[in-house]
Amino acid sequence: MALKHLIEPFRHPKMEMKDGAAAKGKKPKVKDWPGTLKRIWKYMSDQKGWVFLVFLMVFASTVLGILGPFLIGKAIDVHIVEKSGENFGFLLAALVLIYAFHSLSIWFQNIWMIKVAQNTVYKMRSDLFQQYHRLSISFFDERKAGDLMSRMTNDIENVSSTLNSSVIQISFSVLTLIGTIAVMLWMSPLLTVITLIVIPMMVMGMKWITRRTGLLFKEQQQNLGELNGYVEEMITGQQIVKAFSKEQRVISEFLAKNERLKQSAFWAQTISGFIPKLMNALNNASFTLIAGIGGMFALKGWITIGTIVAFAEYARQFTRPLNDLANQFNTLLSAVAGAERVFALLDEPEEERDNGKQTNFEHIKGEVIFDHVSFSYEGSSQTIHDVSFHVSPGETVALVGPTGAGKTTIINLLARFYEADKGKILIDGHDISKLKRSALRKTMGFVLQDPFLFQGTIRENIRYGRLDATDKEVEEACKLSNAHSFIMKLPNQYETVIGQNGSGISQGQKQLLSIARAILKNPSILLLDEATSSIDTVTELKIQEALERLMKGRTSFVIAHRLNTIRKADQILVIKDGRILEKGSHQELLDRKGFYYELASSRFKKETI
Amino acid sequence: MKKIVSFLNPYRVAIAIALFLMLIELAVELIQPLLMAKIIDDGILQKDLDAVARWGMVMLSITLIAFFAGIANSFYAAHVSQSFGFDVRKALFVKIQYFSFSNFNRFPGSSLMTRLTNDLTQIQNTVFMGLRIMLRAPLLVIGGTVMAFAVNVKLASILICSLPLLILFLLWMMRKAGNLFRIVQEKLDAVNRIVQENLAGMRLIKAFLRHDYELSRFQKANQDLKNQTVSVLRFLEMIQPVLLFVLNASILIILWVAHADVVEGEVKVGEVVAVVNYATRIMSVLSMLSFIISAFSRAKASSLRIAEVLETNIDITDDLAQSANEIKEGKIEFRDVSFTYPDSSSQVLDHVSFIVNPGETLALLGATGSGKSTIFHLIMRLYDPTNGRVLIDEMDIHTIKLENLRKSIGLVPQESLLFTGTVKENIAWGKEDAELDEIAAAAKSAQIHETILKLPQGYDTMISQKGANLSGGQKQRISIARALVRKPKILLLDDSTSALDLKTEEKLLNALMQYKCTTLIITQKIATAMAADHILLLEDGKVLATGTHEELLQRVPLYRKIYESQYGKGGLYGAQTSY
Repeated sequence: MALKHLIEPFRHPKMEMKDGAAAKGKKPKVKDWPGTLKRIWKYMSDQKGWVFLVFLMVFASTVLGILGPFLIGKAIDVHIVEKSGENFGFLLAALVLIYAFHSLSIWFQNIWMIKVAQNTVYKMRSDLFQQYHRLSISFFDERKAGDLMSRMTNDIENVSSTLNSSVIQISFSVLTLIGTIAVMLWMSPLLTVITLIVIPMMVMGMKWITRRTGLLFKEQQQNLGELNGYVEEMITGQQIVKAFSKEQRVISEFLAKNERLKQSAFWAQTISGFIPKLMNALNNASFTLIAGIGGMFALKGWITIGTIVAFAEYARQFTRPLNDLANQFNTLLSAVAGAERVFALLDEPEEERDNGKQTNFEHIKGEVIFDHVSFSYEGSSQTIHDVSFHVSPGETVALVGPTGAGKTTIINLLARFYEADKGKILIDGHDISKLKRSALRKTMGFVLQDPFLFQGTIRENIRYGRLDATDKEVEEACKLSNAHSFIMKLPNQYETVIGQNGSGISQGQKQLLSIARAILKNPSILLLDEATSSIDTVTELKIQEALERLMKGRTSFVIAHRLNTIRKADQILVIKDGRILEKGSHQELLDRKGFYYELASSRFKKETI
Repeated sequence: MKKIVSFLNPYRVAIAIALFLMLIELAVELIQPLLMAKIIDDGILQKDLDAVARWGMVMLSITLIAFFAGIANSFYAAHVSQSFGFDVRKALFVKIQYFSFSNFNRFPGSSLMTRLTNDLTQIQNTVFMGLRIMLRAPLLVIGGTVMAFAVNVKLASILICSLPLLILFLLWMMRKAGNLFRIVQEKLDAVNRIVQENLAGMRLIKAFLRHDYELSRFQKANQDLKNQTVSVLRFLEMIQPVLLFVLNASILIILWVAHADVVEGEVKVGEVVAVVNYATRIMSVLSMLSFIISAFSRAKASSLRIAEVLETNIDITDDLAQSANEIKEGKIEFRDVSFTYPDSSSQVLDHVSFIVNPGETLALLGATGSGKSTIFHLIMRLYDPTNGRVLIDEMDIHTIKLENLRKSIGLVPQESLLFTGTVKENIAWGKEDAELDEIAAAAKSAQIHETILKLPQGYDTMISQKGANLSGGQKQRISIARALVRKPKILLLDDSTSALDLKTEEKLLNALMQYKCTTLIITQKIATAMAADHILLLEDGKVLATGTHEELLQRVPLYRKIYESQYGKGGLYGAQTSY
C-alpha cells in the first residue's frame, strides 16, 4: 500500500508535448498580445489618475524596500562591528520612518489597485452583458449557453484576479530588480557579478519550464471548458437523464472528461511547480556564493561583513522578483487568453444595425404586407420562399401547415428576430427594416413557444409586459387571461415566488401567465405562437373569449392547431415547405378540396362514432 | 469542512511524503543563516580561509539536496491536489446525478455549476499550495524563531514578543475574511443566475423590449459583487503592511539592543547578523501570509458550499428495493394516492385511484394544475407519494430498483430536451446498444424518419445545444423516437404532440398501436383522447370520472363541455355537414 502511494505520483502518463494540443490547433493561441493588453488598458484608462497613484506607490515602496536593508547593513558595519555609537539613534529613527512609509505605500497601492481592478472588471461584465443583448437571436441558437456563461464568469474572473495582484507584482518586480542590481553594483561590482552568475541557469531553467507549461495550461483550460459544458448540459437535462435512468452512463462520460482534466492539470501543476523550487535553489546557491566567496573577499579586506549581510539580503530580493515574474507569467498568460475570449465576443457583429432608425411608430392601424419575402436560416434547410400576403387592420390570420413548414419563421421575420433575405415586409406602409427594432416591437404582443418565466414573484413576471402597470392592471390582465383564479389559490397569491424556469407551476399555468403578460402590454399586433396548445380546453374556452375581446381592433397572427381557432380566423394561410399553398377563409378552403381540406378531414374521419 | 478534508484521507502517504520533502527544504533554509554565522565568526573574523571554504561547500551541498526535495515535492503535491480535485468533483457530480427533483428545487442549476467549478478550483489550489508553501510559512516562523533562540536568547526574545500579537491578528482576520468570502460567492451566484436566465430567455427579452430592465437588474447584482469583493480584499490588504511594519520595527529594536550588547562584548557580531537574517526570513514569509490567508478563507467558504451539496439528503432511494423485481407486463395501479410538493402547502393529488391494464391506453384529461404531470412523476418515482401506494405489476414501486423501474418506461416530456450530439446518438439515448435499423424503426414510428433523411447528414447530423437547429415539432418527434427505441413496457406521453399538426399526429398515434406497451397520454385534444381505451378526467387533483369516450360524453357534463368547445355545439355532426 505504502509503496503504491510512494510511486504513484510518478506514474501519471506522460502528456503529449508539442505535437499534441498545439499541432491539432484545438485552442487558438493568444493571437494579439499587445492588442489585448492595450484594450485592457483602455478599460482602465478612465481611472488613469488612480493607476498613476498606484504606480507612484509601487515606486515608493520599492525604493523604501531597497533603502531599508541598505541602511541596516550600514548599521551593522558602523554600529555593531565597529561598535560606534555615533548617530545610532538617529539612524534607527530614520529607519522607523522608512518602514512606516514603506508599509503605508504598500497599503495604498493595494487598496487603490483593488478599486481600479474591480471597476474594470465591473465594466467588462456590463459590456459583455449588454453585448449579449445586442446580439441577434441566431447567435444564441448556434452557441452553447455554458460557454457564454463561462466567459462571463471564469474568463472575467481570471482577468480580475490578475489585475488585482499581477499589475502590482510585475511592476514591483521589475523596479526591485533594477533597483537591487543598481545598489549591488554600487556596493561591490565584484560580488554583484558573482551573484549574477546564477542568472543564465535561471533563464535556461525557466525556458525549459515555460515551454512546457504554456501548452499544458492551454490543454488544461480546454479540458476544463469541455467538462463545464458537459456538466451544464446534464444539469439542464436532469429530467431526461433520470427518466431514462442514464445516471451511470452520464457519470462514466463525466469521469472520462474528469480524468483527462486531471492528467493535464497534474502535469501543468507539477511542471509549473518547478519554478519556485528552481528559484529557491538558485537563490540558496547565490546565497552560498555570497557567503563563501564574499567571505574570502572579506578576509582579503576587499569588502566588509556588512556588505556580505546586505548582499545576502539583496540576493533574496533579487531572486524573488524573478520568481514572481515567472509565476506571474502563467497567470498573465491565462488572463490575456481570458480577456481575448471576452473581447472576441464583444467584437461579434451585433444584430444588424437599424438602417432608417425611424422611432416614431405609434398608434398604428396594423396593416401587414409580406411582399415576395424569402429567407433561409444559416446552415439550415429551413427556408421560406417568395411569400406574399396582405392582412388588413384588425384581421386575424391563422397560420396552418405541417411542422417545419415555416410558420414560426414568418413570425420571427415579422418581429425582426431575423432579417428577411429578399423582399419587403410592410406595416401600415412602413418598411419594417427601416424602423428601429424597439419601435417595431413596442407595437407587438407576444406569446412565445416557450413560456419563459424569470425567478421572481408572479406579479413581477406579469409586469414584464409593461413595467409601469399598476397592481390593479396586473390583476385585470390576469383576470382576462383566466390566470387570476389559479394565482389566488397559490400560497402567497400574486407574491408567490416562482423558481428559475418557472418551477413550481405547471406548463399550462405558465402559458396563462405569458398570455396575461401579452394582454398587459396592450399591443396593436398580436403574435401567438402555438400558445394555446397545452392549455386545457376548459380554460381555453375562456381564453378564446378573452382573446376574441383582445383581438378586436388588433391584427393577430396565430399559429394554432385547434380547428376552433382556425375556423374563426378571417384569413387562413396554408404553408407547406416554406411556400403559401392556399389562402382564404375556412369555408373557401374546404370548398377548394385542396391540401387544407385533406388536413382538416383527416381529423374528422376518426370522429365517426 | 470535515467532510471535504476527509477526501484527503486516501492520500495520507503522499501528503506525508510531500510534507517531509517540504521539511527538508525548510531545514536547509533554516540552517543557512547558521552556516553564514559560522563563516563570519569562524572564518572571516578568525581569518581562516579553510573554514570559509569548508562551510561554503556544506552550504552548497545542502542547497542541492533542497532542490531535489523541492522537485519531488512538486510531483507529490500536484498528485494529491489533482487527485483530490478529481475525487471531489466526481463525488459532487455523482451526488447531483442521484439528486431527486425536490433536491434540485433547493439548488438552482447555476449555483450547482458555480460550486462544481469555481468553488472546487478554489479548494484544489489551496490544497496544492498547502502542500508546498502554506505550511512552510508557519513552520518557517516557528523554526526561524527556535533557531534564533539557539543563536542568542536575548535578541531572539525581542523577536518572539511580536509574534503572538501577529498570530492573534491573523486568526482574527482569517475568521472574518471567511465569512466575507462566503458572501462574495453568493453574490457571484446571483450574477451567474441573471446571466443564465438572460441567455435562456433572450427571445422573450427582445420581444418585450426589456433590455433596460434586465440591465438594471444585472447592474445591481454586478455592483453588489464588486462592492463585496472590494470590501473583502481591502480588508485583507491590511495584513501585509501591518506585518511588515511590526517585523521591521522588531529588527530595529534587535539592532538597538544588540548595539549595546556588542559594545559590552556580550554578543558576537555573527550572532547579530544571524538573528537579523532570521528576522528578515520570517518577515518575507509573513508577507506572504496575507495571500495565504485570503486563499484559505476563500477555500473555507467554498468547501462549506460544496459540503452543503454533498450532505444533502437524497430522499428517493433504493432502500426497500428487491433486485429481482422487474416490470414484465406494465400494469399500473394508483391506490388512494395523495401528493403534495415539498415546500408547498397545496395538495396536487387528492386520493387518486385507478388501474391501467397491460397494453391499454389511458388518456389523462384535465385543467392545468389538475395533477396530470404529477401522476407521471409518481410513476417514474421522481417523487414519492405523500399518501397511498403506486403499484406496477402488483408490486409497490418502492420494491423495484429505480434502474429497473425507469428502464421499462419511455417518457416523452412536455419540453423535448435534446443533447449535443448527432440525431442518431440522441435517439440511441433511449437504448445504448440500439442498431441503426432499430433507430430507424423508432424514427419511422415517430414520423421523423423522412425528415431526418432530408437533413444535411441524415442521422449523423449534429444537433446543436437544445436542438436550436430543429423546429419544435421535429424536436418532439425525435424525443418520441428516443422513448420508442427502448421498446418500453410503459409509455408516458406528456402532451408531447402539441407542436405536431393534425395529420402527423394521427399517423403517429396509429404507429404507436404496434408497440405492445401500456400507454398514458396527457392531452388536451379530444381527438387524441377518443383513440384511447379509457379516459381519466382530473379536476383539482381528484378523479372526476373514468370511462370510454362514449360513456363520459353521456355521463359527465364537464367532458361534454370540453368536447363542444373543440367541435362546437352539435359536435362532429355540425362539422361534417359543413363539407
